[in-house]
Amino acid sequence: MKHLYTGGFELREAVERIGPRGMRQYSGLVFFRFFVRNSLPCEPSDIGVARPIIATGRVYLIAMYRTAVPGLLLAGLISGCGSSVTLTTPTIPEPLLEQIPISIGLRMPENFEHFVHEENVYGSEEWSIDLGRSNAALFEQLFGHMFATVTVLGPEDDPQLLPLDALIEPSIDAFEFSTPNQSNTEAFAVWIRYRLKVYDHEGQLVSNWPVSAYGKSQTTTMGGSDALERAAILAMRDAAALMIMKFDDETRISSLAKGSAPESTPAIESQTDETEDTEVQTTALEGLKDEAG
Amino acid sequence: MKQAKRLIKAPVIVLMVLSSTACVTSTVQDSRTGVTGINEGESVVIMAKSYHLGNETESKYIRCIEDNLARGSKGLRVIPHGEFIDSLFPWFEPRTAPAETKNLAKLMDRPGVTEKMTEQGIRYIIWLDGDTERVAGGGSLSCAAGPGGGGCFGFAWWQKDADYNASVWDLEGLESAGTVSADVSGTSFMPALVVPLPFIARTQAKACKTLANQLHSFIVQDETT
Repeated sequence: MKHLYTGGFELREAVERIGPRGMRQYSGLVFFRFFVRNSLPCEPSDIGVARPIIATGRVYLIAMYRTAVPGLLLAGLISGCGSSVTLTTPTIPEPLLEQIPISIGLRMPENFEHFVHEENVYGSEEWSIDLGRSNAALFEQLFGHMFATVTVLGPEDDPQLLPLDALIEPSIDAFEFSTPNQSNTEAFAVWIRYRLKVYDHEGQLVSNWPVSAYGKSQTTTMGGSDALERAAILAMRDAAALMIMKFDDETRISSLAKGSAPESTPAIESQTDETEDTEVQTTALEGLKDEAG
Repeated sequence: MKQAKRLIKAPVIVLMVLSSTACVTSTVQDSRTGVTGINEGESVVIMAKSYHLGNETESKYIRCIEDNLARGSKGLRVIPHGEFIDSLFPWFEPRTAPAETKNLAKLMDRPGVTEKMTEQGIRYIIWLDGDTERVAGGGSLSCAAGPGGGGCFGFAWWQKDADYNASVWDLEGLESAGTVSADVSGTSFMPALVVPLPFIARTQAKACKTLANQLHSFIVQDETT
């Protein structure tokens, strides 16, 4: 038997969570899952209600499951080790805001249509988080609410041939998450850092804004996948809230209406003496500027 | 085989009967700073303080308070918090939600906010803060199984504290009406002789019921006095 998990023996906590009735209902499943988890070199995908119980090994397979185990063990090994989460496309509610009366083009990177984040936790547990086209949906919905006109551009489209006041290019700088084992809490947390580049109608970069967002969700008896998905959606909503609050302050995009020059263009000012790769960034959370290059 | 079934069944029935007998103590307090009361058509919404501020109030606890406040013939009209947050997006997201009553006036001036509040009849926003934590535990319990059967032996106990605080904001005067807090401590036991017998203290459930009852009294009390 391998004992790879450090969560401690929490049979009592599991019993409390699912209650006496649940204990009777799930006891077989619990013992079986315990065996599978402790027999594999890593955590199986579906932890479910047994998670608190299967933390370390002092519970052994009861006899009634012994015939079923070899087959399922084999299936577990074949299917690989790790947890997989697939996000359903989030819906951003219609925000209460005053729309910015400009026409923008939105050009998203290819990975926004199918973004997958893979990570090894503690070197033993592999997580795969499939955001699908959630990022694309987020920006389409959000900017659809924020701006008077939004034109989604393909990679071949030339924005200068279109009647646009500004072009926005979002991208993802970083996607990170933490599991309850890592944070020593009962919550999953997700951090996403987007980057928004805003160009004027002549194609000049006028703003380069990193948007850091955070979401956190408590685990439930339904397992960690739901909590992680919820945390990711909360992080996206957090990003949306931040953009609604600060977009115009940070990028001065409203001043680009009808091709007029921006009121204040800190990014351009700093770029005049710098190479193209060196851009002034704005720290979103504090509304401050820093010189990260 | 039948004997084995009986052996398992009897303790399960016993534990279900006895599971509510674990020890729970609770303290509830309120502090009133304004006159309360609620009229027909007015509603309340239960919110968790932002996790950006380190709060970890569980979603299921919020749902429990919502259910308990709405329950019965004298139940309050409760707007589900998810519905409320979506209707006022983005002004009640964890990042943007007002942290103090002094921010309410500015919030109400934002486009569409007052209209949405009025539409839903929101009179009180109740902000929950706190969580349930395991604070102590001990004992030893081991389980084993083999081809001939299995079982558990030993004794384990653990204590959980549920500390929750509710701040009641009255949107009529855009001010705080006061706070209600519930402090519940429960000790659970689990002796095991072949089958574990959990005597579970429903600490969080007790904290939910206690706080919800006190909140109900707090909000409606001044109508009759």
